[in-house]
Amino acid sequence: MKDACEKWKDQLLEAELTEATTKDLEEHLRACTICSRELDAVRARKAQLDELLPLVARGAEPPADFQAHVLAAAEAASGASRARRWRVWTLAGATAAIVALMIGATMYHRAAQRIPEKELAAVQRLAEWRAPSDALLATPGQEILRTMPRLGESYLNVPVKRNEEE
Amino acid sequence: MTGACMSALIARAETRGPEAGFGERIAENQRRVFQIAYSILGNAADAEDVAQEAFLRAYQKFGSLREAEKFRGWVNRIVFRLALNRQRGHRRRLTRDTAWQMTETRAMVDGAKGAEQQVLLERLRREIERLPEKLRSVLQLSLVEEMDAADVGATLGIPAGTVRSRLHTARKLLLEVMK
Repeated sequence: MKDACEKWKDQLLEAELTEATTKDLEEHLRACTICSRELDAVRARKAQLDELLPLVARGAEPPADFQAHVLAAAEAASGASRARRWRVWTLAGATAAIVALMIGATMYHRAAQRIPEKELAAVQRLAEWRAPSDALLATPGQEILRTMPRLGESYLNVPVKRNEEE
Repeated sequence: MTGACMSALIARAETRGPEAGFGERIAENQRRVFQIAYSILGNAADAEDVAQEAFLRAYQKFGSLREAEKFRGWVNRIVFRLALNRQRGHRRRLTRDTAWQMTETRAMVDGAKGAEQQVLLERLRREIERLPEKLRSVLQLSLVEEMDAADVGATLGIPAGTVRSRLHTARKLLLEVMK
C-alpha cells in the first residue's frame, strides 16, 4: 500500500466491518486500484475471520456424560460436606461436655473444701489464746513507750507509785 | 460410569431433596458454560474441568439460585472467572500449549484443509491473546452461542452498548493483524 493510501486504511476496515462506505471512499476506490485490491484482501480476511472466530468457542463440545459426572461429583461433595459437618458438631458437643464436666468438678471440689463452723471457731479461739506467763514478761518501759507524752512533759516521765514513797 | 447409573443419578437429581431441579439446570446451561471456558482456555480437558467446578459451586448455592435466569447469569460469571484464573496460572498455561500442539497434530492427520484451518485457528487464538484484556474478554464471550450483548455485559458488569463497541474494535484489530 502506498503512503498516499495509508489514510484510507482505517476506512477500508470500517467499510468491510460495517458494510457501509462513504462517498469519499467510493470515489477513491474508483480511482485507486491499490485500495481496491486492498479492499478485496480485507474482504477475504473478514470471510476467513467469520469462519474461524466461532471455532474459538465452539470448537469442542462437552462430553455426553458431563451432566452425570457433575451430579456424581456434587453428590460426593455433598456427602463429604455432611460428614464433615457431622464431625464438626460431634467434636463441638464432646468439647462442650468435657468443659461442663471440668467446671462442675471444680465447683464441687471448691464446695467440698469449705471449713466447718466448729473448726473456724476453734482456730479463732487458738489465735486469741495467751499464755499466763505473758504477764510476767511485761517490763515498765513498755508502758511508757505505749503512752504519748503531753505538751511540756518529758517523754521519760516515769510514774512513781505513792505507796512506795511513803 | 454406565448408562443406567447415569440415568439413575440424573433422575434422582430431578426428583429428590433440596437439590431437585439441579440436573435440569445443568442440561440447560452445560453447553454454554463449557463454551465460555473453552473460548478462554483453548482446550477441552481444561474447559471440562472448569465447567464442572462452576457447576459444583452452583450446587453449593443452589438454594438461592433456583430461578433459571438467576442460575444462568451466576454460572456464566463464575465459569468466566474460574477460566480466567486458570489461564493466568503459569503451570496451566504450559499444559494448554501442549494441548494445542496435540490438537494441531490431530488435525494434520485429518487432512490438509483441516490442518491449514487448525494452523490459522491457532494463530487467531494467539492474536486474541495479544488483544487488550477488555477487548479480549468481550470477544471471547461474544463468540459463545446463546450469548448476546446483554448477556456478555451482565457477565462483565458493563452496558450492552459498551460490549458492542468493544467487539467492533476487537474485530477491527484482528482484521488488521490477520494478514
